[in-house]
Amino acid sequence: MTIKTASDRPTMIEFREVQKYYGDYHALRGISAEIRAGEFFSLLGPSGCGKTTLLRTIAGFEDISSGAVLIDGKDMSNVPANKRPTNMVFQSYAIFPHLTVAENVGFGLRRDPRSSAEKARAVEEALELVGLKGYGPRAAHAMSGGQRQRVALARALILKPKVLLLDEPMSALDKKIREQMQVELIKLQRELGITFVLVTHDQEEALVMSDRIAVMFDGEIAQLADPETLYRHPNSRRVANFIGVMNFLPARVTAESDSHVALEVPGLGPLEVTPDQVAAQTSGGEATVGFRPETLTLLYEGQTASDREAPGVIDEVVYYGDMTYYDIRLDGVSAPVRISMRNVFGRPVLDVGSRIRVAWSPGALVLFR
Amino acid sequence: MKSPGLRLFAFAYLIFLYAPIVLLPIFAFNSGTIIAFPLKGFTLHWFDQLFSNATLGQALRNSLIIAVSTAIFATTLGIFAARASTRYRFPGKPGIMGLIMLPLVLPEIIVAVSLLIVLLGIGVPLSIFTVILGHVLAATPYAIAVLNAAFSSLDKSLEEAAYDLGETKWSTFRLITLPLVLPGIVSSMLMAFTISLDEFIIAFFLAGEQVTLPTYIFSQLRFPKQIPMIMALGTCLVIASIVLLTIAEYARRRGIAKTGAKDTGGFL
Repeated sequence: MTIKTASDRPTMIEFREVQKYYGDYHALRGISAEIRAGEFFSLLGPSGCGKTTLLRTIAGFEDISSGAVLIDGKDMSNVPANKRPTNMVFQSYAIFPHLTVAENVGFGLRRDPRSSAEKARAVEEALELVGLKGYGPRAAHAMSGGQRQRVALARALILKPKVLLLDEPMSALDKKIREQMQVELIKLQRELGITFVLVTHDQEEALVMSDRIAVMFDGEIAQLADPETLYRHPNSRRVANFIGVMNFLPARVTAESDSHVALEVPGLGPLEVTPDQVAAQTSGGEATVGFRPETLTLLYEGQTASDREAPGVIDEVVYYGDMTYYDIRLDGVSAPVRISMRNVFGRPVLDVGSRIRVAWSPGALVLFR
Repeated sequence: MKSPGLRLFAFAYLIFLYAPIVLLPIFAFNSGTIIAFPLKGFTLHWFDQLFSNATLGQALRNSLIIAVSTAIFATTLGIFAARASTRYRFPGKPGIMGLIMLPLVLPEIIVAVSLLIVLLGIGVPLSIFTVILGHVLAATPYAIAVLNAAFSSLDKSLEEAAYDLGETKWSTFRLITLPLVLPGIVSSMLMAFTISLDEFIIAFFLAGEQVTLPTYIFSQLRFPKQIPMIMALGTCLVIASIVLLTIAEYARRRGIAKTGAKDTGGFL
């Protein structure tokens, strides 16, 4: 599968039919993709999908069985990891425990011909960049998880790489620090303009941080797109399921033309969707329509739908503070669908068993077939 | 330690273990030639005799040469083997590792006799060099066991990070791997040294004309009047062991404090 990206920015990394076997195990099944210069790019997928392996082929830690990896137009086949214009932030951070923070950050400058005073200044600048000014003399092993990550970041950035590789860098941090680091990383990336390639299994993290995301399953890229396209127009049920929550209802195609597809959906009734609402990949199975929880709205007393409405019964209520999730059994459908409502002021949380009406719009649906 | 029976058992066990060692210095300073109570009087004569004994000096020198060589060779081989077994996958690995570790369970006398036959067969003259060969064979499995633990607790991405930052494979090993496994290397050398120093059977078979400390002590036990001197020798060895272990433990704890690693227990 080749994904061509139309963009004025030049290509920084190019995968050409990259194959990787571990013995009989086929880890990468012909990856072809381009990562643009200055882009925040994420490899997203469940564990074992090959995303880390793909990242390690960029770093040079993993030989590829066939195909090619190009960085800045140069074939990396015979370039070892220590000669590549890439640096990596490891999942474990890989902070050298027997060195100080400054020695860790300055490690990559050992072969730099500059004077030690200039190198010390470069180290201090790198530490300042990640918000650790003055931490240089401390023992690296005594730093907290969040601080270690900053040290790893400064250490990787001091060599001014063309590409910064991040292998699940936030997975070991707790939620608050993780969210803070996400914002800082985005800022840092914009400030430096370096290409960032992030590996993550956290779809929310990928959506928040990335310019573009490659969703990977079983050693293949299932979809490569910007976050909004991925969320609104997933090209398969699998991608739709992996990114956010999506409800699925079985559908029957009743008529089809160049301008629309007519469907009969139990619970929603007859409807029409446009061709751009049809997912690109066909699985050959039964047709289903998918919709996100926030595209449906509960109708309270006296409210009317602006488009279409469907009746149902509340099956389950999950209160999240800012949001309430309702599982609703639409009339004529056995499986409940989930809808989310913001708990804005004056809006009551409804009880299980209440009969309600739901407003929806055919334009928010995606058809998988 | 709630049960008084267990407490008693532990107490008796410790006495059984250490009382004989406590007797060593007592009789080393006793002026009587017979190893029995009551004590006669205080003397330094046995130490005098010890330090002026030329054969003993030779045995000690031999033993030290053998033990230091064994420590270095066994640990060097152990580093290669431990690194290979923790980092790489290669065909026949379990079999090869099993063969290397086999001397751990083989009776030493069998190893000693077969080595003797082979060495005589290919015409290698017996000397302290042949003892070193035998001791390296016996000590390497212990070295590997210690070093395996050190290498496998080392995060692989530390080496990758150094390589990623522009170092070569060799400078990565020197700058990152070696300092971090150093406590393991010290433990391994100490263990190999100790194993070699008090090893008797292999030394007895392979030393030829030469004497080592254990073979010398064994040969002197036939002469009752030499026993007090052996007691003095034992006292010196106990003190040397305690000093050595203290230094090693101090170095180990300092290494742990420096890298912030978790203390997984050492000798003391």
